[in-house]
This record gives sequence, structure tokens and C-alpha cells, in this order.
Amino acid sequence: MTTTASHLGAHSADTPSADTLSAQEQRPGLPVLAVDLVSDPALLGSFAALAHDLERAGIGALTISDGGLHPIHVASYLAPLTDAIALLPRTDAVYVEPFHLATQLMSLDHISHGRAGWLLTAETDPTVAATVGRTTLGLEDTAREAADVLEASRLVWDSWAEDAVVRDTASGVYVDAARLQYADFEGESFAVRGPAITPRSPQGLLPVLIADADRAAVGGRVATELADGRVLDLDVSTGARPDAVVDTVERALAEDAGPAVRLVRLVGLDLEADPLGTVAELSAALRERGLLAAAPSAGQSLRDQLGLPVAARAADPARRSDRARLNSEDLA
Amino acid sequence: MSTTAPLRPAADTELSAEAAALATGPAEHPIHPAHTPTGQLSFGAFFQGVNSSTIWRLPQSGEQVAWESFEALVRTAERGKFAAFFLGEGLRLREHRGVPLEFDVAGRPDAQALLAALAAVTDQIGLVATQNTTYNDPVDLARRFQTLDLLSGGRAGWNVVTTDNAWTGENFRRGGYLDHEDRYVHAEAFVEVAQQFWRGEQIEHDGAHYSVRAQGDLPRSAQGSPVLFQAGASPAGQDFAARTADVIFSPHGTLEAAVDFRRSIVERTVAAGRDASSVKILPGAEVVLAPTEKEADEKIRWVRDLQVGPEQAIALLEQYWGRDLSDFDPEGPLPDVEPEVVESGVTRGAGFQFAKAQELTQQWREEAAEKGQSILEFARVKAGSRRGTFSGSYDAVADRLVEFARLGAIDGLNITPWLIPSGLDDIVDHLIPRLQERGVYPTDYAGSTLRENLGLPPV
Repeated sequence: MTTTASHLGAHSADTPSADTLSAQEQRPGLPVLAVDLVSDPALLGSFAALAHDLERAGIGALTISDGGLHPIHVASYLAPLTDAIALLPRTDAVYVEPFHLATQLMSLDHISHGRAGWLLTAETDPTVAATVGRTTLGLEDTAREAADVLEASRLVWDSWAEDAVVRDTASGVYVDAARLQYADFEGESFAVRGPAITPRSPQGLLPVLIADADRAAVGGRVATELADGRVLDLDVSTGARPDAVVDTVERALAEDAGPAVRLVRLVGLDLEADPLGTVAELSAALRERGLLAAAPSAGQSLRDQLGLPVAARAADPARRSDRARLNSEDLA
Repeated sequence: MSTTAPLRPAADTELSAEAAALATGPAEHPIHPAHTPTGQLSFGAFFQGVNSSTIWRLPQSGEQVAWESFEALVRTAERGKFAAFFLGEGLRLREHRGVPLEFDVAGRPDAQALLAALAAVTDQIGLVATQNTTYNDPVDLARRFQTLDLLSGGRAGWNVVTTDNAWTGENFRRGGYLDHEDRYVHAEAFVEVAQQFWRGEQIEHDGAHYSVRAQGDLPRSAQGSPVLFQAGASPAGQDFAARTADVIFSPHGTLEAAVDFRRSIVERTVAAGRDASSVKILPGAEVVLAPTEKEADEKIRWVRDLQVGPEQAIALLEQYWGRDLSDFDPEGPLPDVEPEVVESGVTRGAGFQFAKAQELTQQWREEAAEKGQSILEFARVKAGSRRGTFSGSYDAVADRLVEFARLGAIDGLNITPWLIPSGLDDIVDHLIPRLQERGVYPTDYAGSTLRENLGLPPV
């Protein structure tokens, strides 16, 4: 463990975080290689085989980008068909119901036994806003909204203690209210009361990562302060030379400034025409240079793959939801 | 594709006197001239995740949120040729007297995310998610359902529910925006937008509560669109279901109540311009089985004792009295104090809402006194009465269900197992083979889609 813990305000005091270090200060492990899968309905018959083959090839993570089918559902579908590869839907944090989104993501974590992560994006397309009857926010408000939704999600994820379900037959108590807490998030445009309707998920807090492609839209606070790290995007749609890829990754890892690179994401692969050839070649080249984390093992959590510490719950007396809260309100 | 060739139960079995007395027409139309019984039953498995119906106190009570529990249960259901696996949902953790309710099972995963995962490990069973029209956006929800329908090869279903209370709204952007009387109007508009999306249409909806612009952009699934379920117990709910639903699942304990309900739904369905057989009725039910009647009698008492403990009994009464009753002895008579509320609140779920406390508590006191019941005994009977329980020997329950089927009172049951994940085992091993022998339950799936397996017409 790093001992130079700094408690300076990378995270707002209200927000539970993976640990007390900001993304820059954490000592990351080596990045994990990810392949981007587009949720195109034309690929319906291929998802299972692709995920299976990529997992067998030792690829650490699949990101699922929106190509029509809902990325969280596609990730959930792939969870029982795999047991080591991490699953990170790439989904919007702005034109959504934060409580639903947080619930869906923590459910993916349950279903996958701790292999879930969130590639947080901030939508700027007016047609997407119109599907939920909203109009597009300006750049600043978009970033603020994304930050609010991320903070609210973490408070929902953190609202059940790991041991909240006590099943105490003597007292007749199934779930101990003293081990639950409200989210009590008040944002600019919404509030979430909580607690979660889902028990704490295996990772507690899902890793939240920002792809290079989404960095501008989500804004600096989310990308560098709130998120758990950066996703280095490598567009390989027009082919990829292993030496060039190695160079790019080496340079990114050597950068002092900015958030830690947690994933190296290959985007634009034609997975039907070239299911594994390019991936295997690039993976071998990066691994040979010691630039990638080891291939994940069955049951390994995404936090563990990424070198993130176990997410300890931030118990907050002000959010307590048991009778003691009522009693203190009576006194006040 | 839809193969619902009515396979009639053996013609030599006569209706019982009870069933015959309820029939008002000839064997082809015993309940209503517009309704012909198929004589067939379909089962759904309803994983509740809340309520005292699920026993958590036994060593064999599995984890409520573990993937393995869901997977084991759905595999048993598919082995038993169940048409559907059904998940509930509640959008706020239940509370009792201002704190999360501690005594019942609680905490469940997102229904659709879980069903998308179950789609990967099953082949034929339908996958039905309860989802709320009040606190979702219609295009987002429609897209998720169409994704589930496509991932499962046409096996998705949507149990359409409404909420109006501001307490649930505290988790959502809109807060408590909907009046109680507007909830079905809103739900109907919501379903219409979803159906437009499924049909691949351009959507320009301007309603009382929001405006939507979108374009349906996904292919149709193998069953056209998800099957719509509805609880539909109140008159307004029944009308909503008659206009929009494919399946209704509100519970009925007795054959008489089931017959009355069928008649009511047929009338409303025909009035809405739909074919009487286009709405299936699969009441929510609990099934407690044993080899003999005597063992079944003992078993149902054992189940009730485990479902409702002393703390739950007191909490049930507190919900209606609206005050602390923890000083009362669960083994003693019902509280002689007056309730402190006018109506029961919303925080314990839909089944508990809006009872008139004064009348109800007085009525309960008289009822319990008359039967000589303690708080605990009374609460166990009360909790059980909500569940449409079928209890008895394997043969007796099979015979009884044959009567329901022949009369056309129901098209099946939506069964809540009282144990997770083993609660369907004896149903699949002992009841279903008897129903198959009696010709009222399918020996295999009729098709690969939920619509086909419920005997519903194609979209």
C-alpha cells in the first residue's frame, strides 16, 4: 500500500471513493487490454462466441459501446457466458435516471461476480436528449450533470454494508437497518434518496473510467478527479502496426500529468472479419514489452485486475437510516 | 406458428358440484358466451424478492441476490416447461415506521439486467420484468425491453405497473408528479410510445407529463414485441388490462372468485373491441404440496409459521394501526388501542396501501376475537390469504386445477415459490406430471417465443 496518503480535496467530502487518493496519486498497476464491442443488432448471433474467444485469448476487458442494443443488457447477457474478462458498458450519465442507472450497473456487478465497470460518457447529441423529453445542456452543465450522476451512483452503491443481510433468526431480523444508509444526494437537477434497492455488489464501488473519446464531453472534474482512471483509445479501424501501438502505450504510461491509464482500448476492430488476429498480435507485442497486466483469472474482480484497492464502505452517520436517526431527529 | 390446439382433459371427468354450479353456459362457454376455455394451463415462476412469502429462516433458504439462486430456479422452471420466469420490482426499499423494513427478505437486482443474463443460460422460458411507467422514460424502457427480446430470441415480457406516490419519487428526477387518478392514463400513453418504438416508428409524443421525439431503430424480435402483463385488480386496472394487456396475474383464492374475475375481464375485453381469448389470466399463487392431505395440512402450518414470525406479525398490525405496538404480546389478543392514522401508508408496497384504518382495525379485532386468534395466528392467516394458496396432496391439487382449467376460470398460475431456490422442485417433480397425465399441461414447449408458449396470437 502507498503510504503517502493525501486527503486533499480530490473527492468531495460527500462522495465515497475507492480510497483517499485521487486518480493521479494512485499507484496503478499495468493497464488492462480491452476490446470494444459495438452493440449492433447485426452481431446478435456473434456476441457469445466473440466474448468467449477474447476471454480465451487472455484479453482483460470488453467495453460495450452503444450500437442500438442497450450496452448494459449486452454486458449482462455476456456475464454468465464468461468468467474472467471484465465487462464495461459505455453509457451516458446525463439523459438518464441516475437511480436506475446505478441499480443496473451494480446488478451487472452481482451477475458477473465483480467483473463490472462503467465507461462513463456524457451525451451531447440533441436527438438523444429528445428521446427523454429534454434539451441538450451546454458544455459546462453537461459536465456538472455527469459529475452529479457519478457521485449519486457511488452513494447508491455504497448504501448497503457488505454484511447488511444478517438473517438473525433469534431476533427475526433479515436486514439490519443500522447497516444501511440513505444516499441523500442533492444535485443541481435531481435528488436521490436511497438506499439502494439492491444489496452491495461484490466490488462495492465499480471502477469508473473515462475513454479518451469522451474526455472533452465529461469535463475535467469527472475525467481527472472523480473517475478511477483513463482509457487510452487506440483506433485500429484502418489496421495497426504493433511497434506503433507499443510506442503509443509507452508514451502514455510515461506521462506524468493526467489520470492513470487503466485500460488500453482497441476500437474500430471488425470483429466479424478479423475476430482475433489483430487483437492477438497487439496483445502479444504489448505483453512482450511488459506494458500490460497479466491476463485475468477466473473470478478475478475488475478492481483487482486494475490494481485498485478493495472499496471500503464510507459509513456516514449523517446518512444513517435506522431508528437511531429518528431518535436524534426527535431530540433536535 | 402459434399452436394452441386445445387439448381437452378427458371427457369422462365430470365437473364437481361446486364447478357445475358456477357455470352459466354449456361446456363450450361455461362462463361467458364470448369465451371458450382452452382447457390448458401455463405456469409462470414469480421470484418475489420482497414480502413475507419467501422463507429466509431455514438452512436451505438460499441467497436472495446471488446469481446462483436465480440460475438454479430458472433451470428448474424450464425443466417443468414453465412459460415464464417473472421478476418483481419496487423502486424504493420498503420502510416501516420510518426505517427500512427489517423482517422480510429485501434487496434484489435490476430485473432486466438479470433477465438479460438468464437469457444466455436458458432456451425457451419467457423472461418477464416488472417495470414502472411512472418513473421510467418510455423510449429508454422500450429500448431495453426490445434488447431483452432480441437477446432472448423473442422471450421478453413486461409487467406494466404504475406508482403515484411521492415517497418513491424521492429517488427520481420527476419526484411525486403524478396524481393517483391519472396513473392509468399516463401508463396507457407510456405503453403506446413503447409500442411505437417497437414497431420502428417515428415518435412525436406530446402528453400531459412529457414530450418525446424518437425513432424506433431496432429490428423486430421473433415474437414481434414483448408480451404485456398487468396485475389489474381494481376496476380501473381491469379496464387498463382489458385494453392493453396480454396476461393478467392478480391472485384469486377460490374458484368462485376466479370465475367472477374471468367474467369481468371477458366483458371488459370485448367492450374494448378485443377478442375474449386475447387476454390470458394467470393468477399469482402459492403452492404447498405433500404426498397426502394430512401431510399437506401439517406442511402449510409449518410454512406459515416460518413465513411470519412474531416481529413480522407485530409489524403487520403496526402498518395499519400506525403506531408502536411492540409492547403487545404476539401470543395475545389483537391490540385494544385505537389506530393513529386515517389510512395506511405507501411505504410497505402496493398490497398495503390506503386501507381505512379505523374500520379495518375494528373489523380485524372482531374477526380475531371470534376465531380466538392471537396476533401471531391472525397475522399468519392474513398474510397467507393474499397469496391465492393451492395446498393439498399432489393429486388433490392436480384435480382442483383441472376444474379451474375446464371451466376456463384461469389459463394458468404465476407461482411464487416460498423457498429460494428449491421452491419449485416438488411442483415440477410431482404436480406437473399429474397435470400432464390429466391432459391440462403441456409436455413440451409449443414454440420458442413467450407469445407462442402462452398461446397468444402473433403480433
